[in-house]
Amino acid sequence: MFAYYFMLGVRSLRRNPALTALMVLTLAVGVAASVSTLTILHVMSADPIPEKSSRLFVPQFDNGQVEDYTPGEDPGDMQMSYPDAANLLKSGQGERRTAMYGVPAAIEPPRKDMPAFSATGLAPTRDFFAMFNVPFLHGQAWSEADDARGADVVVLGRETAEKMFGDANPVGQRLMLMGSPFTIVGVTDTWAPLPRYYKLIGGNRFGTPEEFFIPFSTAIRHETQHAGSMSCNANRDPGFASLLTSECTWIQFWFETRSAGDRAELQTWIDNYAKEQRKLGRLKRNAPNMLYNVNEWMEKLKVVGNDSKLSAWLAFGFLVLCLVNTVGLLLAKFSVRASEIGVRRALGASRSEIFHQFLIETGVVGVVGGVLGLVLAFGALALIGMQSKGMANVAYMDWQMLGLTFVMSVSAAILAGLLPTWRACQVTPAIQLKSQ
Amino acid sequence: MEIRPILSALMRNKTGPILVALQVALSLAILTNAMHIVNERRAAMARPSGLSDEHATFYIIARTLNNDSAEQQLASMKREADILRAVPGVASVANVSQMPLSRSGSNNSVAVDRKQTRQTTSTSVFVSGDSVIDTFGLKLVEGRDFLPQELVDVNQNESNQYPHQVIITKPLAEKLWPGAPAVGKTMYFGTGEDAQGVQVVGVVERLQAAHVNLEERSEYSTLVPARVYGNPGNLYAIRAEAGQRDRVMKEAEAALRKSSASPMILRLKTVDQDRKELYRADAALSWMLVTVSVLLLLITCSGIVGMASLWVTQRRKQIGVRRALGARKMDILRYFITENFMITSAGVFGGVALGLGLNHLLVSKLEMARLPGGYLLGGAVVFWALGVLAAYGPAWRAASISPATATRSV
Repeated sequence: MFAYYFMLGVRSLRRNPALTALMVLTLAVGVAASVSTLTILHVMSADPIPEKSSRLFVPQFDNGQVEDYTPGEDPGDMQMSYPDAANLLKSGQGERRTAMYGVPAAIEPPRKDMPAFSATGLAPTRDFFAMFNVPFLHGQAWSEADDARGADVVVLGRETAEKMFGDANPVGQRLMLMGSPFTIVGVTDTWAPLPRYYKLIGGNRFGTPEEFFIPFSTAIRHETQHAGSMSCNANRDPGFASLLTSECTWIQFWFETRSAGDRAELQTWIDNYAKEQRKLGRLKRNAPNMLYNVNEWMEKLKVVGNDSKLSAWLAFGFLVLCLVNTVGLLLAKFSVRASEIGVRRALGASRSEIFHQFLIETGVVGVVGGVLGLVLAFGALALIGMQSKGMANVAYMDWQMLGLTFVMSVSAAILAGLLPTWRACQVTPAIQLKSQ
Repeated sequence: MEIRPILSALMRNKTGPILVALQVALSLAILTNAMHIVNERRAAMARPSGLSDEHATFYIIARTLNNDSAEQQLASMKREADILRAVPGVASVANVSQMPLSRSGSNNSVAVDRKQTRQTTSTSVFVSGDSVIDTFGLKLVEGRDFLPQELVDVNQNESNQYPHQVIITKPLAEKLWPGAPAVGKTMYFGTGEDAQGVQVVGVVERLQAAHVNLEERSEYSTLVPARVYGNPGNLYAIRAEAGQRDRVMKEAEAALRKSSASPMILRLKTVDQDRKELYRADAALSWMLVTVSVLLLLITCSGIVGMASLWVTQRRKQIGVRRALGARKMDILRYFITENFMITSAGVFGGVALGLGLNHLLVSKLEMARLPGGYLLGGAVVFWALGVLAAYGPAWRAASISPATATRSV
């Protein structure tokens, strides 16, 4: 019976073309609007590293001045000062740990035919690559010894390496970086998590991949300026050496623990650390010391902007409107078929048969509207992606969203069809037959 | 009037009218909020930056790959600025620490009193060894520009002592000393013991900060007369003669490259580009909301037309009887229009309540601004007009039903 009703449904699409077209279009537009905004939310807020997100932690201390502090308020800046970063690196806490900051640098390729270019990279420790599952195309991360002595070694991003060396393996070659010769020890494979959750402060969160990596200690030794924001709550003395002893915050830090359960242990340790520092006259605010795992950190730093949420909310309001509209149109469509229902009922069809038939018919409308909605959603996402590279990175549809769209449009149509279908079942055959 | 019979007819068959009223309510709620946000963003995007000729202004970030000493860097800064000034079509050049609207630059906290523990506000700081007022074309409304002897050279690796004169924007002056003249007053960078006091020598009408958002703080800027050196990268702001920007950009780049023996990394950007990038997300959101609003109106309209047509078809016979009993076409027309007006009104009232509720949610959850009452009033008028217009077609068809044919099958 299903196949027969389905065929009837397809046929009835043609019966009232204007009304049907309007219905399909309304449904499609509503689905497209909500799906395209939802897709962007979905990509922005998805867990970027599900297997580890509960084991990676950002520690956070408030080292602001006590004079202008109101207990309970957030620190002015969510980054870390160099003294804290250096102490935490030395602590040996957690399975792995890294400090990092963005570094701008001029790269002079070994090829003479290629002009120097500027690039933005990251200065983490060796642990960074293992912590964030960075894949390697050639070579490997630098060694612990390199970290310890601040060796002039560099890991290139795949695009940067290919720009200079093509497909050849450049490991072991040298290039001029920031005016000094650096040895290439590795090349990462394409690695551009969205959002850039490991470094959310400073730079584009949905931007291009890192162009190179150098050891944190090397960047400090070369007195490399940082790319990103810095917050100082007091006038500091000039020069790089005084930056390292100052309370200015400009570094981002991550711990990795063996299991999610080790969080409490780590929390106790940082609380004790803060207590010790307080004895030394630092961290006077006595604010709570925080640990954020990946998802908490993304939430805290509002990776999904209010504008994206607003779009999604309004788009869903719009979908509800489209559904209400479809209910009205379906009522109209079914009401003119009262006599047909009367005849079927008189010939022995039960109410549930009528219910099935009309529900399948609305399902057909839902499928057609869903397919059209999907096409429209692809169009809308392509339009959104054209705005900027960052948006192009988040405006794509995965299988999950594709399936969701389809389920959503069919169930939306069926939901919209429930009331009109129920109304259709209420037709009393006697009255219909009499009036014919 | 005929309101009572219409109402009792409506009460007998509630589903259709409720659906229409619900559509009107939802549309009104979404439309008013969307329009409010669009207008707010448009207004923010239309704020002037303070630059006299934005289209003609661009900047170059130049970086030389050599290990020059700080003093050599200072010399090449002055030389590069002179080279740029010599390019035909250049109206003015200034070496400056940051550009308005560029989303990259520094802020400093300011206070009006050294004893304050909390900053009064923060300001975007433009440090320049040249006259920014001239290059940006700012409008001086109080006081004077810096005197040549006030401009000093500061090696950032050795000193953080900046000059003691500043020029601030009118909005910042109003924030610091509401209603009072700012020239001659002292403000402080930072708070507490080591706060640095500086004297305001001039006030410019407007200069937007490097980081611009919807807040008032976007116009709190301060000019500091210093040529800061000791950093391998330098930024030059250039205003070309009107209409010559693109040519000047090419020639300026070529002139700089030719002047240096060691390789240079140059990045050129126009203020127009910065403005476009800064407001890209706002423009996109505006477009999205406008699109949704237009679709919203279309769908609501089609819903009203559809339901009204259905009712006309269903009541063909009754209309015929009424006409046969002496009702004029005008009466039938008025009946349907009144009926629709009543339904729309219910929707409008519901929509106003829903719109306020939605706005409350947006304010509390998404930090949006509160909706002024005018939008709801405007929205209500639009939907009333829309309802009457949409119902007019079906109502006219109803009025044209000939009593003879309509009653034939009774």
